[in-house]
Amino acid sequence: MLALYRVLLHLYPAPYRCEFGDEMMGVLLEVQAENQRKGAFAMLASGVHESGGLLYGAMREHFYSITGSYDNGTFSFKRRFAMRSEFRFPKATVGLMVVILAAVMLAIEKARAISMSIPHANPPVGPIRPEQFAIVQVLVAILIWAIASGAIGWGILFALRRSGIQQLSEMNPAAGQRSGK
Amino acid sequence: MEVSEPVLLILLSLAEQPRHGYAILQDTERMSEGHVRLSTGTLYGALARLLDEKWIERIKEQDSSRGKQTYRLTAAGRRNLQMEVARLKHLTRVAAPRVARKET
Repeated sequence: MLALYRVLLHLYPAPYRCEFGDEMMGVLLEVQAENQRKGAFAMLASGVHESGGLLYGAMREHFYSITGSYDNGTFSFKRRFAMRSEFRFPKATVGLMVVILAAVMLAIEKARAISMSIPHANPPVGPIRPEQFAIVQVLVAILIWAIASGAIGWGILFALRRSGIQQLSEMNPAAGQRSGK
Repeated sequence: MEVSEPVLLILLSLAEQPRHGYAILQDTERMSEGHVRLSTGTLYGALARLLDEKWIERIKEQDSSRGKQTYRLTAAGRRNLQMEVARLKHLTRVAAPRVARKET
């Protein structure tokens, strides 16, 4: 059972394992010793319980190390335990979105002005025939766009994690440990 | 930060006295009369979050030969725990007459 626990502990992210791995193994040893005294059934039940806890914990920590948040309903602590997340959008994102919105509104206004200056440029549109609908193509395009956006976003987060930028930002040089999460 | 039942039990365990991981597991089970049995993975996940939020801290103990770390509540942690207990007291005060009311 201890070998299984060791394997499961290796599923945790390396920084977490360095900080808590030995200590967790010590606790698991004590739990096992206690359950050995209680009998085979207690040993089995405890093994399943601890293995499940380690698996769930490893997934939760990996999710946190990628997204910077536990607050997704799946990996958050049971009921009413929402931790503050340090993962935030860069401030420049807000500025960029404002610029894009202003550009879109300007384009709409320009188009309206051009339309008004040429009264008969746009003839009335007749009834739309079914063959003119391009809903399938539009849906496929939206799907491809969503997948591509998701993949790019995931790639950026993964690259940040791999490059250690996020871990560096969480380091507290004075204490030599992680600081804010 | 909101506090779940397991985290509340961990905080209550440390409010009494500083404890290491295994002692916290035993104490939470005892306090909940066996209803809450934290796994080691869950316990250390919660301890990591509480350390990050500075609700608890590690203290140096003489018996640290086996890698045991002892944890204790910080002043901020104790203050937040008192607020949570006060909130629960209020809730039980409000709840008691309502659940005692007989169906008509």
